[in-house]
Amino acid sequence: MKDQTLPSTSRDDWRLPLPHSTRGRVLVAIRFAAVLALIIAAASTPGFFTTVSLFSLLNTTSFIGCIAIGMTFITLSGNIMSFALGVTLSTSGIVFIAALPLGLIPAMIAALTFGAALTAVQGVVIGYFRANPIIVSMAALALITGCATLITQGRGVYPAGDEAALLKGRVLGVPIPVAALIVTVVVAQIVLSFTQFGRQLYMVGSNWRAALAAGLEPARVVLGAYIAAGLCAAVAGILMAARYSSGDMELGIGYDYNAISAVLVGGTAISGGEGSAIRSLTGAFIIAVCQVLLLLNGFSSQIQFLAIGVIVLLVIMLQTLADGG
Amino acid sequence: MNNAAIARVTESLPLRVARNDEEDAAAEARMAAQSVLSIRHLSKSFGPIAALKDISLDIGSGQVLGICGENGAGKSTLVKILTGVYRPDEGTILVGGEPASISTPRQAQERGIAIVSQELSLCPDLSVEDNIWLGSLRVPFLHKRPELRQRAADTLALLGADYIDLAAPISSLSIGERQLVEIARLLTRDARVLILDEPTATLTDVEIDRIFAALLALKREGRSVIYITHRLAEVFAICDRVSVMRNGELVTTTALNGLGREALIELMLGRPSGEMYPEETRARGAPALVVEGLTLPGIVDNFAMTVRRGEILCIAGQVGSGAAEIISALAGLVHDANGRVMVNDTLLKLGSPARAARRGIMFVSGDRAAEGVFRRLSVLHNLVATRLGDHSVLGFLRGGALRAAGERLASHVGIDRRRLRSRAEDLSGGNQQKLAFGRSMERQSNAVLLMNEPTRGIDVGARAEIYRLMRSLCEEGYALVMASSDLEEIVGVGDVVLTLYRGRLVKQYRRSEVTMHRVVADITHPADGTA
Repeated sequence: MKDQTLPSTSRDDWRLPLPHSTRGRVLVAIRFAAVLALIIAAASTPGFFTTVSLFSLLNTTSFIGCIAIGMTFITLSGNIMSFALGVTLSTSGIVFIAALPLGLIPAMIAALTFGAALTAVQGVVIGYFRANPIIVSMAALALITGCATLITQGRGVYPAGDEAALLKGRVLGVPIPVAALIVTVVVAQIVLSFTQFGRQLYMVGSNWRAALAAGLEPARVVLGAYIAAGLCAAVAGILMAARYSSGDMELGIGYDYNAISAVLVGGTAISGGEGSAIRSLTGAFIIAVCQVLLLLNGFSSQIQFLAIGVIVLLVIMLQTLADGG
Repeated sequence: MNNAAIARVTESLPLRVARNDEEDAAAEARMAAQSVLSIRHLSKSFGPIAALKDISLDIGSGQVLGICGENGAGKSTLVKILTGVYRPDEGTILVGGEPASISTPRQAQERGIAIVSQELSLCPDLSVEDNIWLGSLRVPFLHKRPELRQRAADTLALLGADYIDLAAPISSLSIGERQLVEIARLLTRDARVLILDEPTATLTDVEIDRIFAALLALKREGRSVIYITHRLAEVFAICDRVSVMRNGELVTTTALNGLGREALIELMLGRPSGEMYPEETRARGAPALVVEGLTLPGIVDNFAMTVRRGEILCIAGQVGSGAAEIISALAGLVHDANGRVMVNDTLLKLGSPARAARRGIMFVSGDRAAEGVFRRLSVLHNLVATRLGDHSVLGFLRGGALRAAGERLASHVGIDRRRLRSRAEDLSGGNQQKLAFGRSMERQSNAVLLMNEPTRGIDVGARAEIYRLMRSLCEEGYALVMASSDLEEIVGVGDVVLTLYRGRLVKQYRRSEVTMHRVVADITHPADGTA
């Protein structure tokens, strides 16, 4: 039956797939309705379209976005998600602050290297030993939290000077965190779309065994995905540590959850092999909009958590329906 | 078709189940009786695509009706309508002469129509007995267990499967035995019409015989069977009549006596079958792959072979004989394989598919979903999966070059280039397999292509194309090794045929020496004491 499906006639790379089935069309309509509802909610919320709240929105997006891009690599590689990116963010931030006396650039390099190393270890265990990624990330969460708390005695780390102040500024009128997010997204999307590694990542995520049988080295690709995730988390860690002028294990709390929500809301398949950095950015933006809207309307953070939980649940149901149809 | 090949194939066609004339006559008589299940003018479309057009069929009690057709002919849509998964756009279904609405699987079950699914719906950790009764509406809340046990035992005995222990967990049974349990389960629910969709694809010959025996028992009981298969020999062995479908239409329903195999292929394809198996390659080259002392603990013992460039070597063996495992091991997918393997005169260490690939060893699996295609990726990306490195600079892909390579490969393997953007999962099984072949082509000219049941679940038309592809690779200087349990294919394709029994090499034949009889004898019970 499938054989008779008409070939897709669209020519461009960014095709808009309009499904044939009624159910598929209903699903697309639901998505449009959701975005419309969000816009109406935003328009009817006093104070949403003000410079202050829009900048705060972009800032929120930039932290969630960076982690979400990192998470995207893991999800695309077929390893579902990681619970350890939040602590990678926190610890990279601590390393950044601690290394600041060496200068801004060396501190950034130290933080990035540290973040990448943390996830690389997990990547080796998951890629080469085929350990369950969720369990590994939970173990890593416990391990990293434990070690970091032991070393810092549970206290925050504060910079002596103000080398990091530079990162609170703007380039061309754009706040540095937002600029960093844009760079991260662009680089990630280029890596995913136009490099050998990116292409192999989709293959490994789509079918690990087939990638192995075809003579690729899936373990190496998975390791690469984890390193990319660690780098993204470290970027977020540096930005956040600079913003709050401190490194603290509290910084990354809740970001794993927000990031995976963003990845899913953006439409990256939880089973791997399908998705993009742009999609996750969209997801991060939607999550951030929801958070800011709830905040402006005076809802507590518990309600925010609840709302995002409901959204993620709805999105997963939609995805499952779409896959089934 | 290659005449010699036809002769060898047809000579041994009436394969296992000998049908005597009495049984034929009885079947004829029953055919005339009132039909159990009738379909009248059934049509079904998906969007603009008509999957079924005006199908009418009758199946009488005690009858086995075969349904043949290429992939995409509409067989599975028909099955899904009969079992209540889809609803027809037009047409009626009559059960026992009465119009019946079947809109859910449960309604189908209540009308006595049941499918023996390929992915068996049994619980592996429960016992045979529990599985037979699990979820049955006929088990009252308060019931007498011994009574149910007796009925389960009776049902298995009816199927000639009384050797299956009722208390054994399903996980301890072979796939064939599980199918028998599944059939028994459906029988206890008073299934009048059983639908079997490619039931033998993963079975050994002995198990196929058992399934056939069970089907004959069902016939005697007056139950009806709809039997869907790609294997023509099975149609002749077990079916009373055959319905041929093509492009959603019913071409014909005909009795099998008097119908030749070639005629059946022609009906399925809608054109003369032409050469199913292409001529052998003229020139043979130097040995490309030499295997000595290959041992897989517990599976294969001290296996040796030599494959020359330009030839196809077939390893014939039943499921479990080790043939498939040898291919996997050479591809690097088995971690505890030992043996001396020379590829183009240099030693290859087993255990890594990537290392093997670098040495020019390509692998095409019959299990397309698990280790063949990247289902969610496009046709283009599937085709160029292994040659990204050839078309990139410093890790960056050259899009134009990749696309050109993909288009060339697509035309090479016979896939419409307009489908390069389609997802692999939207292709038919045959076309998916062509992707795997395309991936393996145009490597170095002295490459080795390993294939494991490459035509499993693929229709006749696409098979012929794949055999031609294999030959064209030979012409390029490839050495091909194929493990298969389809004997017709082995006899038709192999330049050299090795027979395998329980992990040991039985005999080696050249093309001129091999016959289906010899191969069957070797792989089931070799005479020379190899067992």
